[in-house]
Amino acid sequence: MFGCLLAGSGSLLCAAGHSIDFSNDVMAVLSKAGCNQGTCHGNRLGKGGFKLPLRGQDPATDFQTITRGLGGRRVDRVDPGKSLILLKPSAEIPHEGGRRFSAGEVPFQILRDWIEEGLPGPDPGSPKLLRLEASPGGGELEVLVEPAFELRIRVYAEFSDGTRRDVSELAVYESTGAAAAVSSQGVARRVSFGEATILGRYLELQVPVRVAFVPAMEGYEWRGHQEKNFIDKAIFGKLRLLRMNPSEICDDTVFLRRATLDLAGRLPTSTEAREFTFDEGEAKRARKIDELLATAEFADFWALKWGDLLRNEEKVLDRKGVQTFQRWLRDSIARGKPLDVFAREILTARGSTYRNPPANYLRANRDVLERAENTAQVFLGVRLACAKCHNHPFERWTQDDYYGWAALFSRVRYKVYENKRRDGLDKNAFIGEQIVWMARDGSLKDPRDGRDVTPRLLGTDDGIPTKEDDPMEFLAEWVVSPENPFFARSLVNRIWFNLMGTGLVEPDDDFRATNPPSHPGLLERLARELERSAFDLRGLIRLVMNSSTYQLSSIPLPSNEHAETGFARTYPRRLDAEQLVDSLAQVLGTHPVFNGYPRGIRAVQIPGTNAILPRYKKPSSADVFLKLFGKPDRQLTCECERMSQAHPAQVFHLVSGPMLHGMISSGENRLGNLASSGMSDAKMVAELYWSALGRPPAEAEAVSAGALFSSAGAKRAALEDLAWALVNSKEFLLRR
Amino acid sequence: MNRNDPKTSSLRGSAGACGGFAAAGISRRSILSAGGLGMFGLTLPGLLRAQEAAAEAGSALPVKAKSVIFLFQFGGPSHIDTFDMKPAAPAEIRGPHKPIKSDVPGLPVSEHLPRMAKQMGRIALVRSMHHTMKNHNSAAYYALTGHAPPRDDQRLRDSLSLYPAYGSVVDKLASLESELPTFVSYPHVIRDGSVTPGQRASFLGKAHDPFFISEDPNSKNFKLPELSLPSGLSFERLQRRRELQKLIDTQSRLLEYSSAARGLDDYYKKALAMLSSTRVRDAFDLSREPVAVRERYGRHTYGQGCLLARRLVESGVRFVTVYFDATIGGKSTTSGGWDTHGFDNTRMFPIIEKRHLPITEQTLPTLLDDLDERGLLDDTLVVWMGEFGRTPKINANKSRDHWPQCYSALLAGGGVKGGYVYGASDSTGAYPSRDPVRPDDLAATIFHLMGIDPSTEVYDTQDRPLVIAEGDPITDLIA
Repeated sequence: MFGCLLAGSGSLLCAAGHSIDFSNDVMAVLSKAGCNQGTCHGNRLGKGGFKLPLRGQDPATDFQTITRGLGGRRVDRVDPGKSLILLKPSAEIPHEGGRRFSAGEVPFQILRDWIEEGLPGPDPGSPKLLRLEASPGGGELEVLVEPAFELRIRVYAEFSDGTRRDVSELAVYESTGAAAAVSSQGVARRVSFGEATILGRYLELQVPVRVAFVPAMEGYEWRGHQEKNFIDKAIFGKLRLLRMNPSEICDDTVFLRRATLDLAGRLPTSTEAREFTFDEGEAKRARKIDELLATAEFADFWALKWGDLLRNEEKVLDRKGVQTFQRWLRDSIARGKPLDVFAREILTARGSTYRNPPANYLRANRDVLERAENTAQVFLGVRLACAKCHNHPFERWTQDDYYGWAALFSRVRYKVYENKRRDGLDKNAFIGEQIVWMARDGSLKDPRDGRDVTPRLLGTDDGIPTKEDDPMEFLAEWVVSPENPFFARSLVNRIWFNLMGTGLVEPDDDFRATNPPSHPGLLERLARELERSAFDLRGLIRLVMNSSTYQLSSIPLPSNEHAETGFARTYPRRLDAEQLVDSLAQVLGTHPVFNGYPRGIRAVQIPGTNAILPRYKKPSSADVFLKLFGKPDRQLTCECERMSQAHPAQVFHLVSGPMLHGMISSGENRLGNLASSGMSDAKMVAELYWSALGRPPAEAEAVSAGALFSSAGAKRAALEDLAWALVNSKEFLLRR
Repeated sequence: MNRNDPKTSSLRGSAGACGGFAAAGISRRSILSAGGLGMFGLTLPGLLRAQEAAAEAGSALPVKAKSVIFLFQFGGPSHIDTFDMKPAAPAEIRGPHKPIKSDVPGLPVSEHLPRMAKQMGRIALVRSMHHTMKNHNSAAYYALTGHAPPRDDQRLRDSLSLYPAYGSVVDKLASLESELPTFVSYPHVIRDGSVTPGQRASFLGKAHDPFFISEDPNSKNFKLPELSLPSGLSFERLQRRRELQKLIDTQSRLLEYSSAARGLDDYYKKALAMLSSTRVRDAFDLSREPVAVRERYGRHTYGQGCLLARRLVESGVRFVTVYFDATIGGKSTTSGGWDTHGFDNTRMFPIIEKRHLPITEQTLPTLLDDLDERGLLDDTLVVWMGEFGRTPKINANKSRDHWPQCYSALLAGGGVKGGYVYGASDSTGAYPSRDPVRPDDLAATIFHLMGIDPSTEVYDTQDRPLVIAEGDPITDLIA
């Protein structure tokens, strides 16, 4: 019926005698009206006794259900107007889902005409949808400068019979950003200034349109900084387009604190802070970055991040395995192992998990589907979980892709030499040596039809291993090869996320056409740079941290204060759980107790999840603190498991909780040393400021601290109060 | 803007009454950092907002249950020996206990529950609960969340891929606007070998975890550590510290431009207010109850827990979960839950006669009477259930084993019918014979009664849209 027009008479005029096509017209209506959504009839259990396959993934079943279900009462051939599929959605009779369309609108007309035409079913001969295009399109960012506030989106479909049709009326529109709302007619309107992606969806395809709403900014004039490298060129280029300026370059104290937290996972000491601030030498920031990259703490901190992603936790890997794996991760980073080699070693490791530490990754992911999903998420930045249960009709990954990829992992086997788990009923627990090995045979049954699935690399038609290939070697080879479009991009995005707080693709492991990067060109360029540098982690970090973009202040300018994205400034974020505990320990000069570890270990060095050991009935206050501030359990291969959100219970622990209170009031801590050091009050105050905030006290701060010392009586109490205030300040708690 | 807010999703595309489409792409983190509210109700009036949105869409649900008291009977009470007796069945099924008449004709209960027998006029009894999870942790997770676990696993591991507790969902979608928590649970973290999943907020984020109390409400010094300052730290001294902190915050200017800083500071304000205010402390202060009332509930952990539930609901808390015991128990007459297999030469009937039935008999009628006398029962839903029932056929140990295929759940108040039986079991109590109900349906019923559309979507860590309850509300038992 393409090219159909709604005539004044209310009937559809179709070009070239096209009749209604079930697959291309009726299915589009079911989506347009929302009938097959998960919250409506697409629900696993349907709604009101009417159940449709989720989001139009199975037209044949839709056809059966509509024409034959409910004794055929959903459609009335004799009197089409009496059909339930017209009466219900137009709310002529009560419909729990409300009115979805009205008589006279295109969806209504299509359904009515379809019934009148005798309910033609899905026709294998109907033209197949090949491509969807949007206007404006081409993937370019559409910039709307105030007063412009809306954008009409048109969607065009190309079919296998060579026709190209305007399907804007039948497309479904969604906005995936807070800045825009989109009408069912495809008009995107500004809700707030900022960026959004509008998705136009028709049948099984979807096309993104990126739009930015920009305030007029009378008298806007570009004021940038030196472009240190291609990162600044890309970031500044876009800021200019959005009529924003980058904030100032941050001062030295802020830079040092930021860089030390990001690379070493801790605060600069008061000595480091003073030295750096008063360093008059050339290129001291670049020198500091190099210096930090060479520390042992850098390896500790970045091994922690990989330990999170690779599920290094005690229940499955046991204490020994966790320590072995962590040491391997740490050494790999310390020695500068190229990231492609690193990934390949993890994916192909065999043998004893005690003697060959990277084999712990496969030991941790014991189920074939878990291995498949987690490997895609960690190394490709692709989330496959949805495709396990249903074809996402408008995302790329199908159930065939999912099970083909999973089949590659189906020959992994474990030889459990011993299992000394304390709880014999706990099938998830392993204590003892295991061998990871590859069976000669082994296949994955497709749960849909019970047949063996052909193993196939994700997103390829011909990435099929031969009988002789070891499927994990085959897969690892592909993962790190330049032909694989995902690996390098997902790595640079992860690194960017860890340094900048927001990925270029966000969430950082969710690459898909409908979640486009904020700076596509930059992402590509960084990926190529990573490949060019032979996957050198430090090289990429150096590149990012030496850019002006990384070094921007968090203090906004009038032109960028409305935006929470775009990298026009640094967005302050809370320290990670381990960073926070280690920083408190460093400033207060006393070590908290982590059950099961020697006193003095830093939180970032804890190899596993700090699970409570049997001999400890209760977690220590520091164990509780780490969990509360988001240290993950390492059961998901996702950075999202490290919950970074602030919540009130955390603040209670900072205000008067047992760990911090104990550290502040401890008899043996830095405060005690200061009190008995014979230093002047002013010197003690300055020392605490340099330790906690990496800067000297401002005048007002020095005055009020001085007053505290003269009024509080005991020096010790004054020091405790000041220390509390410093570590509870936002400047301390946030990385800015 | 919070994507999980029904109001915002209704702006989106053609989504409407049925709620939003899956939204791709917005950063979960950005939402969490912007939102990140919850525990002490430091949030927008969520319920109001949700209802406004629903009203716009023409489908506002009335709030029949302002609060819920969920009494979780860990271990699995026997349906046949409590509220679904089978006197006509053979001896090896009906057991040694006799039924007695209740105040509802045709609704006999165990002879060990004579006070409960006078309460049945207030109860909506579901006798056709069923599922297939035979292990405590999987079954209890199902009972506490309304979502079938991925596996029937004796040590099902808690993880962010599992669903949140009911109360956490309520906190997410309809939290209180007061300094009180929306969701309180106590006095145990239940575990069977490993911590039972379903007790916390999971992927909704720690902000929606219950306000959890591990202190024994029956202990003399019962108080909340969160509301008490450590020795050596007076409130005056804390205020002095706060003044210094404010000065440093002014210096850094972060409060002027960083929403993360402002969010944190709001929590400081609230925390200090709570430490100095009496309202929250009073809600948790059982010593303010007359001795007679405390005695009536029973001077044991569970009894005082039920009394605390009433105090909390009275002060406005929306969801209170009271765990009967920390463990599945079953072998002792002085501790433990309902898991009476008769192992190690123990026997079920003497145990439940001495422990479980008397405690139930003492607390449940007392709670219902107390709520009713205070006019709270009409809008407080009380749910009493375990994770499964017990085998119809008595085993070689003269006890009963796990039986998820058919069991009972009790509901009272909060918009349900009284003296009403929904569903039925067959002649031996083995399978539902009429109107089978899954935990999914019970979950949908609870949300529905609270005015929360069970098909509301929340987003997991993978940003998948998931409906909060996949079942259908049991409309027949709604008054």
